[in-house]
Amino acid sequence: MTTLSRIGQGPAVVRQGPARHFAAGALCLILLALAVLASVMFGSKPTSAADVLRVVTGDGDGYVRTVVESRYPRTALGLLAGLCLGVAGTLMQGITRNPLAEPGLLGINAGASAAIVAATAFLGASGQHETIWWALAGALATGVVVHLIGTAGGGSGPVRLVLAGAVLSAVLAAFIQAVALSRPQVFDTYRYWVVGSLGGRGFDAFWAVLPFAAVGFALAVLLAPGLNAMAMGDDKAASLGVSPARVKGAGLLAATLLSAAATAAVGPIAFVGLAVPHLVRVLVGADFRLQILFTSLAGPTLLLFADVIGRVLLRPQELMVGVVTAFVGAPALLFAVRRMRGAA
Amino acid sequence: MKTAERIDTPAVTASRPVRPTGRSLVRIGPWVAVPVRRRTAIAAAVTLLLLLGAAVATLSLGRLGIDPADLPSALMGEATGKNAFVLNRLRGPRLVVAIATGAAFGLSGALFQSVTRNPLGSPDVIGLGAGSGAGAAAAALFFPDVVPVPVGALLGAVIAMAVVYFSTGSGFRNPGRLVVAGIGVAAMSTALTQYVVYAVERDKASALTAYINGSLAARSWEDATTIWLVLLVCLPLAALLARPLSIVEMGDDLSTGLGARPARTATAAVSLSIVLSAGAVSVAGPIAFVSLTAPQIAKRVTRGGGPHLVMSTLLGALLLVLADLTAQQLPLFDNLPVGLYTMAVGGAYLGYLLLREWKRPA
Repeated sequence: MTTLSRIGQGPAVVRQGPARHFAAGALCLILLALAVLASVMFGSKPTSAADVLRVVTGDGDGYVRTVVESRYPRTALGLLAGLCLGVAGTLMQGITRNPLAEPGLLGINAGASAAIVAATAFLGASGQHETIWWALAGALATGVVVHLIGTAGGGSGPVRLVLAGAVLSAVLAAFIQAVALSRPQVFDTYRYWVVGSLGGRGFDAFWAVLPFAAVGFALAVLLAPGLNAMAMGDDKAASLGVSPARVKGAGLLAATLLSAAATAAVGPIAFVGLAVPHLVRVLVGADFRLQILFTSLAGPTLLLFADVIGRVLLRPQELMVGVVTAFVGAPALLFAVRRMRGAA
Repeated sequence: MKTAERIDTPAVTASRPVRPTGRSLVRIGPWVAVPVRRRTAIAAAVTLLLLLGAAVATLSLGRLGIDPADLPSALMGEATGKNAFVLNRLRGPRLVVAIATGAAFGLSGALFQSVTRNPLGSPDVIGLGAGSGAGAAAAALFFPDVVPVPVGALLGAVIAMAVVYFSTGSGFRNPGRLVVAGIGVAAMSTALTQYVVYAVERDKASALTAYINGSLAARSWEDATTIWLVLLVCLPLAALLARPLSIVEMGDDLSTGLGARPARTATAAVSLSIVLSAGAVSVAGPIAFVSLTAPQIAKRVTRGGGPHLVMSTLLGALLLVLADLTAQQLPLFDNLPVGLYTMAVGGAYLGYLLLREWKRPA
């Protein structure tokens, strides 16, 4: 309550507790560093922190070097995807004012999946390197269509977008399953992609989506003050010279770019985009500038730790990070349900 | 409190003839009530006729179809050779299962939407379909020859609903919490399902995926008995709930004033809805969107208030039989699970509903 009423003064939130935010920021950075270290250390062949240090500084024998370096791509992907999902979730929850909003709701996952399935089935695309472009195109195209449906008839509104996303996801899901079930080869590509995993993707995926992620992130940072103004209500924001419609539109565009980048690179991953913004709000309050900064630290941390857990749990096999996040995130959500007030 | 309600209630009753909203029409005397009832009766009769037509088409279309001229005698038990095989093994049980499963989904959705007052509310939304899919997948991966897949689906649905029930902290009473808990349960179930589909061999994964989308292929008379029993037990219970439900739809305060006990009615309706859906899922897999669309169409056809239990039941059966007819006869794809057709058509219909609603000037 108090935090909410203070958003009005915008900057006051920052001045209110800089010491606390520095402490929180330091904590997040340390955790992120630990997550990165864990991500290059653990796997089917465990290595020690000393090994990692030797490899990074250019020493270390060939075998350990190969092992450690093979974990660089997935660590980089985890950093990027975690950041994208976290920031996209923050934007969507801020714009829709729906605490359950997350990237999957805009139809991004379904769009990317449908594009991959269609490209494999009808255009003979195969392998990571080709499908990632299709996934990106599909995710972006779905984002656009969802926006068009959601704003049909003049009006617009976040609830409409989410409903439009749900509708499009259902229709695309039917298409995906129909094609996948009638063509075994396509089914194979699809079922491996749809689980959501950081492993086996390589640096190509990272470089392919990086530009989209960068544009989305820059847009998010630029929009933060506008989002702060909008938290007081559209009317007050308008009186401060902020156009709510423009902020919403640009914010959803940024969220679409970010989630499309993440989904194309690593497949659909649940709950990171949902949970991280909530954690961050507890930590830093309602200021969107801080929220975006902190989600871009906390998102990667969470995703990398989930990936490490997945690697260690069933060693020498591994559990895909998408499965881990669902099994960590869902119980947290179920626990939070009890604290919801009244009937929604 | 008491006095306030006593003053309120007559006031509302008095104002009703002045503002004849859809929901009050049924209850304000014979003159206004008759047209609504007649409309519902006609709609029900038309739906039944369409259902009959779809059933005849299901039995007689296609290469193996029974000639409609032979159908009456075949149904009297005089079928021989190919016709007997088609009627007793291939399409007969499938049709009978489709009718009851569709009816169960339709009724289940009507009960659930009446409680949540949300067109998107259906047992699928609180994770029943996803839970049953995970149950089926887990049975296939971990206990391949011990637990049959349909039993796994039923167990999965029951476990998912138990988790939802206990995690809300208020049972099935609070629709908002139900939906959120459902999202969590569905996410976990989907993750488990996808993991299994990833981990098993391709053929097995493919069969499993077909089942998880909801299929009516190769159903037996045992399946038919199961789902008809569930339906016949639940129908009278639903009829008992119809009246309290239509009162509860007026809002918690008013219905408490009228003595309807909203919390208890909600719990009973959601529980019944879950039993119906779980029964349907155990014989046919989680078929999407029937429980969501049937009550919506019913509402538009009858143009009345209340939970539309009868019309939703009939329309559910009609929708599923039509979808299965398409699945059997459409030459485009071979033998796709019927759940894919309901998903595509139901999703498109939902989109159409939303678009139409948004185009209307607010």
